[in-house]
Amino acid sequence: MSAPILETRSLTKRFGGLTAVDNLSLTLPSGRLHAIIGPNGAGKTTLFNLVSGLLTPSAGRVLFRGKDITGLKPHEISRLGIKRTLQIKSVFNQLSVADNLWITWAASNRVLHPFRAAADDRDARQRVERTLEQTGLTALARRPAGTLSYGDVALLEIGMALISDPQLLLLDEPTCGMSPAETDRAVQKIRDMAKNIDIIIIEHDMPVVFEIADDITVMAQGAVLASGNAEEIAADERVREAYLGRPEDEDYVEEAAHA
Amino acid sequence: MTARNIERALFAAFAAFMLSVPWTIPALLSGFWVNLVAEILIWSLFAASVNLLFGYVGLLSFGQALYFGFGMYGVGIGIDQLGLTFWPAFGLGIVAAMAMALVSGVLAVRLTWHYFAIITVVFSLIFYFLAVSMKWLTGGDDGINFSMPPTFTFGKSIWSFTDQTFQYFFILATVALCFYLMHRVVRSPLGKAFLAIRDNDVRASLIGLNVYLLRLVAFVMAGFLAGVAGALFAFFGRYASATYMFYQVSGEAVVWAIVGGAGMLFGPIIGTSVFILIRELVSTHWEHHALIVGFVAILVVRLAPKGLAGLWADWLENREKPPAEAITVNTLRTEP
Amino acid sequence: MMDTLLLLALNGLIWGLIIALIALGLSIIFGLLDVINIAHGDFFMVGTVVAWFTLEYTGNFWLGFVTAPLFGFILGALIQRTVIQSIRGAAALSIVATFGLSLILQESVRIVFGPTPRRILPPISGTIPLFGIEYDIYRIFAAALSIAALAGFFYFLQYTKVGTWMRAVRHDRDTAIAMGIPAQRVYMLTFAIGFGLAAFGGVVAAPITTVDFRGGVDILPFCFMAVIIGGLGNLPGTAAAAVLLAFMEGVIQSVADPTVARIASLVLMSAVLLLRPQGLFRGFVR
Repeated sequence: MSAPILETRSLTKRFGGLTAVDNLSLTLPSGRLHAIIGPNGAGKTTLFNLVSGLLTPSAGRVLFRGKDITGLKPHEISRLGIKRTLQIKSVFNQLSVADNLWITWAASNRVLHPFRAAADDRDARQRVERTLEQTGLTALARRPAGTLSYGDVALLEIGMALISDPQLLLLDEPTCGMSPAETDRAVQKIRDMAKNIDIIIIEHDMPVVFEIADDITVMAQGAVLASGNAEEIAADERVREAYLGRPEDEDYVEEAAHA
Repeated sequence: MTARNIERALFAAFAAFMLSVPWTIPALLSGFWVNLVAEILIWSLFAASVNLLFGYVGLLSFGQALYFGFGMYGVGIGIDQLGLTFWPAFGLGIVAAMAMALVSGVLAVRLTWHYFAIITVVFSLIFYFLAVSMKWLTGGDDGINFSMPPTFTFGKSIWSFTDQTFQYFFILATVALCFYLMHRVVRSPLGKAFLAIRDNDVRASLIGLNVYLLRLVAFVMAGFLAGVAGALFAFFGRYASATYMFYQVSGEAVVWAIVGGAGMLFGPIIGTSVFILIRELVSTHWEHHALIVGFVAILVVRLAPKGLAGLWADWLENREKPPAEAITVNTLRTEP
Repeated sequence: MMDTLLLLALNGLIWGLIIALIALGLSIIFGLLDVINIAHGDFFMVGTVVAWFTLEYTGNFWLGFVTAPLFGFILGALIQRTVIQSIRGAAALSIVATFGLSLILQESVRIVFGPTPRRILPPISGTIPLFGIEYDIYRIFAAALSIAALAGFFYFLQYTKVGTWMRAVRHDRDTAIAMGIPAQRVYMLTFAIGFGLAAFGGVVAAPITTVDFRGGVDILPFCFMAVIIGGLGNLPGTAAAAVLLAFMEGVIQSVADPTVARIASLVLMSAVLLLRPQGLFRGFVR
């Protein structure tokens, strides 16, 4: 088997006195959809920030396909093929939907030409049109992204992930705040993408996690609490303990265990 | 008429007017007003450099006067002390402004928003005080006066700024070229990347844009625009002075750009025209014209928060029937 | 040599205290209203001018310590209601609006006061021995008054109802409004107090500077720098930075001419901005 898609070695991030990620060593093999779950403050988003370069680790290394990417800038990491979404939906609000896709594509594929009109690039335009169709946003292509509904913004996020041809996609709570119908659509899209792309997903919605994830890693207090497939996690005592006091999540765990 | 056609017609009318200024204006008013239009063009270009940074990249620079000043001094010192002819002096001014923008930009664009605004003021103040104190080089507050070298010489025929019409067309052509370049940049992939950074710099870095480098590129481009404006202004006034490097000059450009409409190509031209015209129209009758300028600034903020160009764009979007004639009349009325 | 150094350092210190008063107003106006106040230097200038008129018409300089801040307070409240209130939350627009305000203030002063700078004689003259040099009494008095005003301001912020409101709104606007704090009144008071503080700085400084309708122009960047170097939102830091900056400039002036001193302090300031953009004093107070 080839090098794991993502590996962290003793990864640590401290904010003042608080250790958000604590000596975390993970090895995520390629070709599987990974989910990271855990209670609030477990360090999941911090982990994503460390991998994507928004934060620099206090100690430890991050390896992408065996290559050390620790300390690289966000855009450098992005150009290696690691793309991510942010927990709070974040697109370019004043650009049109099509331009959001366009710039995402151009950022990783083209030298930014200073004088030629952006609209003249035919390859780019076709690719944008295809992605619009894939995400069902064609009708909204010219709308400023800031005027979209929440669910459409989430679709746009997924479209931006698609068009950037990622090798590894980090999704931070992609279904957060979605209606059930929107969640179903998003889950379907994520599944499709996972056929060709390695995906790591942070998700609070337990049914979603148990439905789509091949492997689950449970984090608590910056460290790995447990890892395994859905059945193993659902049966794990420590995981139940970590979620105690959050009955709705416990229900999900039980539900999944009986499923 | 579609919105696009209206804008095209307007632009054509505007271009025709600008080309006819040396003949129509003296016939209606006097030669003085030709020079005023030229001056408005130069200051519009200066305000455009603020607009490029603030309107398209989201960086509010309060120090563009520094690059204006370098463009000015490049020309002034080039002609007066180095004995350069027109074109080398012009080139020196632009290169000096861009070099200064590059050097200060390397440091400044590491910061954003308030910090960026403050550091650009601080840089411009440093060089303002340097220019004031280095009298042997800059002439301090009095500045450098120089005699105008010819622009072109073909055998016996000489083209020079001493000819008001030539001066006007040279300035018009240079400013138009700069605006055309900016228009190209704004619509290009690079321009879209600028807009993406203005909107959301964290997201921009996550899709693979080198935010730092792109901001630096924009900063140097803005330095170019300000430098060209400064060089033109030096030729126009036949002098260079440290007073044009003070932070208030930068501040005026910020106001012109925002009042005109930040993020819109023609915004700075509109804002600059309004303020300079008020100044000129009122100052002949009443010395306290600044009072009116102040009230206009506040009024625009209250009535047209997106700037005058924004008001126009909104109107264009909301209009139901296209009253084409009314529009042409409108634009003509804004001209002197 | 030593004497000059001491004299200039003391002068710098006192200017620093006055600037601290002005910069605090700038900082609270920015912190609570999101207004980048380009006219703030002119608020100071208005203070010097009111002091001049007070002396001119009453013959009593001391009255200026009441009239100037009062005038500033009332004018500030009026300006907030008429101009500032409608642009809440749009920092870029606030620049344009306060630029307009700055022009209006300067031009109005030029109309009623005239374009020529004038001087006010200190109400108390004479010198006292201080650290081995003879030092101007009024400046000592100005320092004491500034310190008292600074202390009063921090007391007001910490221990009065309105002060607590102001801190609450600055800390978390939405929660404060949800808890029933009258935000509109707090905004108005903040702007009024900011103007009042700057005008008070103006009276204090009037006898040691010139009264001029452009008197605020040089002060303004200095105040902004104090706010930024002290750390946005860090009021004690702002005051400390103002004093430190002016003191340092005073010290440098003893070995170089004022322009070089100004350049040196600006260079230092850029270094601080680039190396510690969160301000010099982060970690002390929030």
